[in-house]
This record gives sequence, structure tokens and C-alpha cells, in this order.
Amino acid sequence: MHAHGVAAIVTLLLSVTFGIIVSLELLYPDWGANAAWLSWGRLRYAHTQGIMFGWLGNAFFAFLYHAVPVLSGRPVTSARLGRWMFGLWNFAAVGPGWVLLLAGFSQPLEWAEFPLAIDAVVVVALVLAVVQFVPPFFSRGLEHLYVSSWYIIGGLIFTLFAYPMGNFVPELVPGASGAAFSGLWIHDAVGLFVTPLALAIIYFVIPAATRRPIYSHFLSMLGFWLLFFLYPLNGTHHYVFSVIPMSAQVGAITASVLLGVDVIIVVTNLLLSLRGSGLFPRDIGLRFAAMSTVFYLIVSMQGSVQALMSVNQTVHFSDWVIGHSHLAMLGFATFAGAAGLTHVWQRIPTARYNARALNHGYWLLVVGVVLMVTDLTAAGLVEGRLWQSGAPWLDSVRAARPYWIIRSLSAIPLAGGFIAILVGLVTGPKGAGLASVEASVGLEPVAAIAPRLAVVATEAS
Amino acid sequence: MTRGAGRALRMSYLVASVAGVGFFVMSVALLGVWPKRVLEAETRAMAPEHPLGLSVSELRGRAIYGREGCGYCHTQQIRYLHADMARFGAPTLAWETRLDYPHLWGTRRIGPDLSREAQTRSADWHFAHLFSPRAIVPESVMPAYKGLFEGAATEPRQEARDLVAYLDSLGHAREIAGPEGEARARAGCECGDDEMAQMAFAGPVNAHPARARRGDAAPALPATVNLAAGQVLYADHCATCHGASGAGDGVAAAMLLPRPSNLAEHDYTVERLADALWNGVAGTAMPAWREYSPHDLAAIAQVVRGFRSGGVEAPLPEGLVALGERVYAANCVQCHGERGAGNGPAAAELKVAPTNFQRQRPSLAEGLRALRNGVDGTPMAPWTTRLNEAELLAAAHYVRGLYAGDAAR
Repeated sequence: MHAHGVAAIVTLLLSVTFGIIVSLELLYPDWGANAAWLSWGRLRYAHTQGIMFGWLGNAFFAFLYHAVPVLSGRPVTSARLGRWMFGLWNFAAVGPGWVLLLAGFSQPLEWAEFPLAIDAVVVVALVLAVVQFVPPFFSRGLEHLYVSSWYIIGGLIFTLFAYPMGNFVPELVPGASGAAFSGLWIHDAVGLFVTPLALAIIYFVIPAATRRPIYSHFLSMLGFWLLFFLYPLNGTHHYVFSVIPMSAQVGAITASVLLGVDVIIVVTNLLLSLRGSGLFPRDIGLRFAAMSTVFYLIVSMQGSVQALMSVNQTVHFSDWVIGHSHLAMLGFATFAGAAGLTHVWQRIPTARYNARALNHGYWLLVVGVVLMVTDLTAAGLVEGRLWQSGAPWLDSVRAARPYWIIRSLSAIPLAGGFIAILVGLVTGPKGAGLASVEASVGLEPVAAIAPRLAVVATEAS
Repeated sequence: MTRGAGRALRMSYLVASVAGVGFFVMSVALLGVWPKRVLEAETRAMAPEHPLGLSVSELRGRAIYGREGCGYCHTQQIRYLHADMARFGAPTLAWETRLDYPHLWGTRRIGPDLSREAQTRSADWHFAHLFSPRAIVPESVMPAYKGLFEGAATEPRQEARDLVAYLDSLGHAREIAGPEGEARARAGCECGDDEMAQMAFAGPVNAHPARARRGDAAPALPATVNLAAGQVLYADHCATCHGASGAGDGVAAAMLLPRPSNLAEHDYTVERLADALWNGVAGTAMPAWREYSPHDLAAIAQVVRGFRSGGVEAPLPEGLVALGERVYAANCVQCHGERGAGNGPAAAELKVAPTNFQRQRPSLAEGLRALRNGVDGTPMAPWTTRLNEAELLAAAHYVRGLYAGDAAR
């Protein structure tokens, strides 16, 4: 678990570095012209794959090693399996995947850029993840399945189903038909992998940190089922006004709007569960979860709106969408991942924990995300208008430049925030996280109790 | 929990799981399998009889396009929207993508869509642009792909040639299918009264504003111009090839064949400049500038006309006047036409249209240079082996005399 946590942050920092270089290359396009592996396209591939598999994948797994035993009351399937999974995920998928992408071996499909050989490893690792995390729920019996457990089981299993749609099918099904399948995965990658696991974290962290049950189990279940019903039906909204049959497009757009309704249900439930803690709770894990919930609401409302044909025709292909994806992955999912990691770290007696650094990290990330997403959304509107007006193409590039400068500047708080989080998780006294949790509930620290327990233990023997 | 309740719960989980999987299967069926069947049927019904495939070189180029992530800034999908169609051409039909394993539609446009790139720009434009994008388009943000070249834009490696071959194949199958292809597609289209489906046939297949065309009527340029605006436009878009003072010595000039014109060594009628700006110069790297308004083009034309110093040329020795006419009639009319209008019998067959001397007057030095050296990259050959010095001089003088000036408007 600890290993996954560290791997998460390390791959996160690398992916963010790729992202920063890519954004700077739009401002200094001659930078790196002599090194093919540093060119924009290849680093762009490495950026998104690194975020999804390196950062979010590892962060989710780290969280699951804590959450699954707690939720199911059973240990995960096998520690040995865990070491295999960790090795495969990081040293056979993400690491070599990056090397291959930068060396020019890739697949030009969104959210599926790793080459086929790596795709095969990812599938094996996902199967191992199912074997590792799902059986504990079944061995306990399913009478009391909490919503996080549903999301974990659903997310892991359905990712396995959805992954081939974007990674293998378009290699076998050409052109427009392939794009239809590709669209399924572009949305399912976010909808069936990232969102369920991020929501599992939020639904876990809120009651654990506030020590109050969630507001409504009924709403949590309603939200869960609507999500699994509606998310997969969104795919074609990535290709509106294309040659893909109009009924499929309209269906996907309708599902996108209904999805907004589902998200309102989920977020209402989460925010009501948070009541009394405020929007910026003292507990850092909880604070990340709260902000993640807010980002989730905004990004989903934005998603419902941008799927509408009249909006889509203007903002599609523009920086608006880049802003949207960063609000989803950098806002919602990354904050959930950080919530999970911090929460778990607080509960490992041997883990170092630096609350000050984490606090700084939180605020830097909030500033960075808000700055970047606002900036890119505005940029998208400007680009979209210029394209529709029939102005020369270069006008749109020229107009985007100030926004791209601000976007690159937003990397400063973001990178600073991520470094602060890394510092927060690897420096500070060991067990400081646990002590902070104990202090917040008025418990004596373990260190104070331990000697007395030792006395009791000796007397008993 | 009682036994019965437990069984009921297990049953409900079973139902829920089946439903969950069912939802997913439904999404694949509705948004994957069913569209695939429709699109395959459309492809069968609407494709030309023998659609053009991709050559080995084009396929290799396609792999490079994928490897470098070109699709993350350039889409290959023209939407059924008037804004897209006006800028790029006819919406992408299903059959046009039938060979795309995997598809390269893309979801982001930083650069323009490339679906109709075939026959839009010259190969040397592409080589120069891939090698050093800002040598051609100063404000471009495209990365340079120097690795595809042996150190210079004029030394493309096979990878660069393959990539350019691929770019020049985009949209070619639909264009080469011609009106028969369009008619077949329209007949096969179950458009009915579906206005959107009909849009696929509403405009020209390739509407790319930069595409060079021959002989389209250029719009009349307004007489009053904003010279300052023209100077900015010239510096932004023309100077990379034609040079800051129009001497044909911009940074990209050495990468292109034929070389960019030396604008300071020619007199041009406004009509001639309007034509070159509106249509581009087919067979050369000079693109069309249809994205710009007639006002902008007029301003650029004014700047170009200002480059000519207009010095008085040495007069032709008396005895050579008749010689010039004879030399021209014997050697030049096949291409440049009897009256020098660039409309000789061979003109239409040539890759680059012969100069129309009625609308464009080279300086004596420039004329002699062309006669002596030929114009590399065009069918104009050197004439030194067939004409003596007196004949060359006479011919250079003679073509200057054909200039009609702006009165011809």
C-alpha cells in the first residue's frame, strides 16, 4: 500500500512535468525540436497515460489496501499477489509504457496511447486487481454492502469490460465505426474507472472522518445505479455532428444531460453528509474530499451543458474541453486521490506525516485548478467564436496565446502543491497523522496508552 | 437475518449484477455495434465503385502521423456544420474512413483540420513546414520535425517523404472519384428529407482556403487600401518566403522550388496580384489566401507594388526590335501565347502556368536571368544553348513590351 502511495506521487510528478513541458512547447515551439522524444505529441501521450495509470491508478490501489479490509472485514486476497500487481502496474505497464511512447511506439487513440503490448499487461494487472480486492467482499457475505464497496466492485469489474473498447476494438474496426467504440472508452475511462473509485474514496472518507453516517443510503444506491446505467451511454457525445448515426448522438447527449441529474443526487447526498463540517473541514483528508465533491458537481454540470448541440458546435475541438478534462482529472479525481492518500496515511502508525505541508499543498492545488480551468474555458469560447466567424485560422492561435501563458503559469501553484503533498507524506514525525486523528477525537495518543497496555499484557500472562 | 430474507437479498444482488452487466452490454450495443452496422451499410452504399486505397508509402506516413501525435492538434473529421464546411470542405463520409485502422479523427484542433489536405499544398511547402514550421508560418506553434530530415528541408529522409505522401492522400479518394463518385454517394445516401445528411453534398469537396487553384475569377480588389495594415499582413504572412523587401530572399526561400518570386524585380497589375493572392500559384508553394478579405488582399497587393523601384531600363538597340519579335514567335508562343498572355497551346498542360506578360513585367535583369538560367522548379528551361546573346537580350526586351498595365482592367 505504502509502495503504491509513493509510486502514485512519483508518477504524478513525472506526468505533471510532461504536462508542463507540453504547455510550454505551445509557447516556445522550437524547444526540443532536435529530440524526437521531447516533441509535443509524444509527451502529450505520456502526460495523460501517466495521470490515469501512474497517478490515479496507484493512488486508488493504495486506498483500496486500506478500504477493502475495513469495508469487508476481511484481508485482501494475498500480499504476494499485491507485490506482483505493484510490479506489473509500475514496472511492466506505466514505466515501459512511457519509454515506448517517447521512443515512438504508441497507439494514436485517446486515453489508450500505450502500445498494444502494454495494453495486454494492463489487462492482466486489472484482472489481478479484481482478484485482489473483490473476493473479500464476497467471502464476508453481501448483506451489508456499503456504497463504497459497490463502487469498488463495479469500478474494477467494469473497467475490465470497457478497456478493450478503446484499446483493442479500433485496431480491428476502422474509421467512423472505430471512433464510435473509441468514444465509449474515452467516456468509460473516466466514468467506469476514475469516477467510481474516486466516489468510493469520497463516500469512505466523509463518514470515517466525520464519524457520522452518510445522509442517505437510499440516495447513495440510487446514484450508484444511475451512474452505471448512464455513464456508458455517453460515449458518442465526443463526436457530435459527425457521420455516426444521429440517433446515437442524440441518445448520448440525452444520457449526458440525465447524468447531470444523477450527479446532483450524488453530490447532494455527499454535501448533506458533510453538513456541520463546513466546506473546508479541519481534517485535510476530509477537506480534499469536500473540494473533490464540489469539483465533481461543477465538472458534471459543465459536461451536461457542453454535450448540448448548440454549445458543442462552438466549444468542441477547443481549449474549453481541455479545461473540462482538467477539472475532471485534476480537480475531481486528483482531489479524491489526495483525500484517499492523506486519509490512509493518517491511519498508518509508521507513516510520516506533515500536516503543514499538506495544508499548503491543498491551497496551492485549489488555486491552480481554479486558475487553469477558468482560463482554458475562456480560451475555448474565444477560439470557438473565431472559428465560427470564418476569421483566418491563425487568429485563433494568436488569440489563444495569452490564455496559454496563464495556463502555463497555473503550473506554478499546481507543481508546488504536488511537491508540498509529497513533502507532507514523506517528512514529519512518524505517526503524526495518527496522533492528529486521535487528538481531533479527544483520544489519548497510542504512544501514551501503549505502556499501560504493556503492563496489562504482562499481568495477564 | 432470517433464511428467507437472506435468499431474497442474494437474489436481488443477482438481479442487480445482471442488470449492471446488462446496462454495459446495452451501451456497447447501442453506441458501438449498432452504429457500426449502420456505418458499414452506408459505406457499402455510398463508396465509389473502386475507391482509392493507400500506397505502402502513404501507410508508412500514416504510422508516423500516429506516432508523433499529429491527431492531437489536427482533426481528420469535418463536421456537418457550415462553419466546418466553409473552411475545409464536404463533411467526412463513413466510406472515406474505411481504411483507418485505428481512426485518426481527433478531438482537438490547435492547427486546422487535415481531412482535405490532398492537393492543397505543394510537397516542398510541406517539407519546409515540417522541418521548420516558423520559417513558413511565423506564428505557428507546431513542433519542428527535424528528425525526419538530413539536416535541411531540402534533404527529406524517407520518413518525411512518406508523411507528406500520406498528407497528400487525405481526402484524395473522394476527390478523385469525381462527380460520378458524388452522384453514387448521393444515390446511396438514404438522405430523404434529412437536411443534415444532405449537407454532405452541399458544397465543394475541398474548400480549403489555402488550396491553389487555376483560373478561378478573383474578386475585384477595393481601390482604397490601408497600407499600414498591408505592411503588417505582409510581414506576418509573406516575408518568410518573399523577404522583408520583396527580394524573394525570405528564410524559407532556399527550401522551396520554384523559388519565391522576387517581387522587387517585377511590375504587377492589380489584377495579377489579386489572382495570385486569391488562387495561389498552382504548382508552387504559394498558397491561396482566401481566408483574408478583399480589403486585406488589396492592402497586401499595394505593399507588393511598392517594392518595385521602377528605374528606367536601358533602351533596346534599334536593330534588335524586329529580332525580339522573331525570337519570341519562334520559341516562346507555345507556352506564353501569341500576345504574351500565358495562354499558349501548351500552357494548360504545364505544372506551373507560364507567366502572363500582359499582367506582369519583369525587369530586364530578371528577364535575362530567367532566359539564361531557366526557372528551376518550372518548365521554363535555360535558353543559352539555343539563343545567342543578342537574341536573349532582344527577347527580354520584347516581353517587357507586352505589359498592358492597369489600364487592362
